[in-house]
Amino acid sequence: MGMMVINPDGVAVRTTMDSTHTNSYSAILSRLTDQARSAIRDLDPLNEVTFIRLRSRKNEILIAPDKEFNLIVVQTPADVESNHAKQSTQ
Amino acid sequence: MATSELPITHDLDEILRRISDIKHIAGVVVVNKEGVTVKSTLDNSLTAMYSVLVSSLATRAKSIIRDLDPTNELTYLRIKSKKHEVLVAPDEEYILIVVQNPPEPLNS
Repeated sequence: MGMMVINPDGVAVRTTMDSTHTNSYSAILSRLTDQARSAIRDLDPLNEVTFIRLRSRKNEILIAPDKEFNLIVVQTPADVESNHAKQSTQ
Repeated sequence: MATSELPITHDLDEILRRISDIKHIAGVVVVNKEGVTVKSTLDNSLTAMYSVLVSSLATRAKSIIRDLDPTNELTYLRIKSKKHEVLVAPDEEYILIVVQNPPEPLNS
């Protein structure tokens, strides 16, 4: 469905989605990512977040945080299910 | 262990035991919607930290999904970190939190 690269200020530097969606996703998901990062750090200062996955009924949001940027991918669960089906038949 | 006064059935215990018996599962925590621990297989201090931090994250994620699309809802949340992975399944009344250790990497 789409993907975007967000800089540390929560601004999308690259996106395949339209600006309305990009703007809605980038700001709030950056904040969630920051909250997740500090939660993991609070639990164990030596640990850090490598990946976040929000699965909802209609779609799935994957967040890959990095030192400077966050990669956000939005996909439909059907893609995930077909991937699982492919993996299980291999 | 401080738990709230709620009917904990034998089935619930069975399910939690089944989950925590799975290889690589470090612990299971069940939290109610106020963030109070209902059941946990982790020690008190870890349970307290997970309950507070993870339930507020889950609540936040839940409202984000609703804000983006009011007809949609969060089914689960997965936070992967270097040392372990936290799986969060929110529900109407409770939040299930499972902490698992990553499986051994496959040597290709």
